[in-house]
Amino acid sequence: MNAFAASARHEALNIRRSRTAHILLWVFVGMVLVSSLIGWITNRTVTGVFDRIRAEGLTSQPNPFTGVSPLTYERNTVIYVLLIGALMAVVLGAQASLRDRKSGTSALVLSRPVGTASRLLGQLAGIGAVLGVVLGGSVGASWVVLGIIDAAPLGPEHTLRLLAFAALSWVLLMAFAVLGMLTGLVSRSETTALLVSFVLWSAIAFVVPQLGTAARPVTLLGPVPHPAATGGWFDAVAAVTGPLAVTEQYKRAAGVLLQDRNAQAGDWTGALVVAAALLILVLVLAVTPRRRLRRPLDE
Amino acid sequence: MSSTATVARRELVALRRDRLLVVLLGFLAAVTLVSVIVGAAAFRAQLEAYQLYVQQLEQSGSSTRAAAPRLFPLQLLRGSVEYVEILGALFAIVLGYGAVATEKYRGTLPLLLSRPVGRFALPLGKLAGIAGIWLAVVVALTVLWTAAIVGIGSASLGPADLGRILIVGAFSWLYLVFWSALAVALTAVTSRLSLGLILAIVIWLTFVLIIPQLGDTMDPDNQVPGGLFKALEIDSSSEAAVIAHFATFEELRNFLESASPTKHFERLAFAFLGIDDDFNQKPIGVVWSGIWGYAVAIAAAGVAAVAAAALVTTRSNLQRTRS
Repeated sequence: MNAFAASARHEALNIRRSRTAHILLWVFVGMVLVSSLIGWITNRTVTGVFDRIRAEGLTSQPNPFTGVSPLTYERNTVIYVLLIGALMAVVLGAQASLRDRKSGTSALVLSRPVGTASRLLGQLAGIGAVLGVVLGGSVGASWVVLGIIDAAPLGPEHTLRLLAFAALSWVLLMAFAVLGMLTGLVSRSETTALLVSFVLWSAIAFVVPQLGTAARPVTLLGPVPHPAATGGWFDAVAAVTGPLAVTEQYKRAAGVLLQDRNAQAGDWTGALVVAAALLILVLVLAVTPRRRLRRPLDE
Repeated sequence: MSSTATVARRELVALRRDRLLVVLLGFLAAVTLVSVIVGAAAFRAQLEAYQLYVQQLEQSGSSTRAAAPRLFPLQLLRGSVEYVEILGALFAIVLGYGAVATEKYRGTLPLLLSRPVGRFALPLGKLAGIAGIWLAVVVALTVLWTAAIVGIGSASLGPADLGRILIVGAFSWLYLVFWSALAVALTAVTSRLSLGLILAIVIWLTFVLIIPQLGDTMDPDNQVPGGLFKALEIDSSSEAAVIAHFATFEELRNFLESASPTKHFERLAFAFLGIDDDFNQKPIGVVWSGIWGYAVAIAAAGVAAVAAAALVTTRSNLQRTRS
């Protein structure tokens, strides 16, 4: 077995044995399932609200929910990927690069014929496999729940869209896992590594989008991307911060895949930005100097 | 000096020397400031758009005008309050975790416990130190917010406005102490340090992000951009009458929202700052009579978290460590 495959297998095994990882993974899977149910209850109530409004002759407007895609029930999952999934990925990434440094086994591992890039990318592949299984399982369960809600199994197009959404989410989570790995490699302690990761996550999820959209932090917790503000400095700032707001770009791409009515069909810019972010971060990880892996923790 | 005061003083000195803490708190201050700047810029852009609209109306000879956008200076703090409730809580967890974890990691715990420290001296001393740091941070944030509103928002503030900012500052302090105390309790009670931190973060995710988001998601009016009732051209009295038929759903939604201390803090802060339209421009006494329940809930949560930290931070819990 080569160094890459051995590192990947070892990482997947470590995550399987970690209680911390289990807590986060179960919270994530649980919330993804709950989100479908909440989407269904809310949609049923809103339809009831509309029916009552129409019965009382208060409106002549058409039902705003007529013909919505069954994937609409899945839109809250976007938020759980951004909130729980991203934090879970950051923690998994940070723990991967901290483990050897913490236990002092880096020197032993690196005494073997193992390239730095093979080791780090192998670990990342291990995390990727676990994230893939978690997302695959969540989406599989959602497929069943959506079928029950709609009283019919999802058709091929909707199934493919759901799978594409899982793939997009995987790319985003991998980017956050790399971010966690990088902070784990450069930090002097576990606390610092986790903290710096959380700060970076909050900067990406809240601060960067806010600069170009004037959206408040809590508004950014919604599943729909906030439109860029116009006038004043916002035109110039949004042009710069728009592509950097990876989480907003993810929402945009997820909206297209889940057939959100606010999304512009065929707009793949968001997906491209998320993929580019992962690519850049993987390149940065691959060129990490070997001495970073050897450095012991201060704690 | 009592052993509690000695532990508190030692904690304060340690936190003051912590460069990471300085970076974190600097980040918190920066994002709350950015929020005021963005809010002020958004208002200016709104004003410019209004002036352009008026100009175009005048050119077309029309005399009908919409009301000009009005700046309520304290509303510029909305984003800052939200950052305190989200990021402030996260950093408070880290501070509480660090207070216990550092002793365990550095091996100073056996030495500390070999001294004649009282049963509650360690947790209460550490919490007093953390509360002291949060007090300094909140005072600094309050000054920064006031300066930002005056300097960047170009607004003038009266004594009543300053009083409102101070009240929000005081409850911010209580809210942050609550999260730090919760993290101290969880870190003390778990044998694996990182597990204590992760558990605290899972609770943070649940109460700060997930539960309030669920409440928003379940709001029928949030299902359509711009609002469902607006899209259906329904006035507010008819809206209330219709919603009354869905009381169970609304009760469930409200229960979810009110299960989160974060939501209590948010509602209280928004009421005092006039961000909640029902309380905008109302005297402080009127606001207080409308939201005192939230104040009690935040205080009760804070006291419960401090009591839990004091009770579970025992010698036996602290000494069973796995890294």
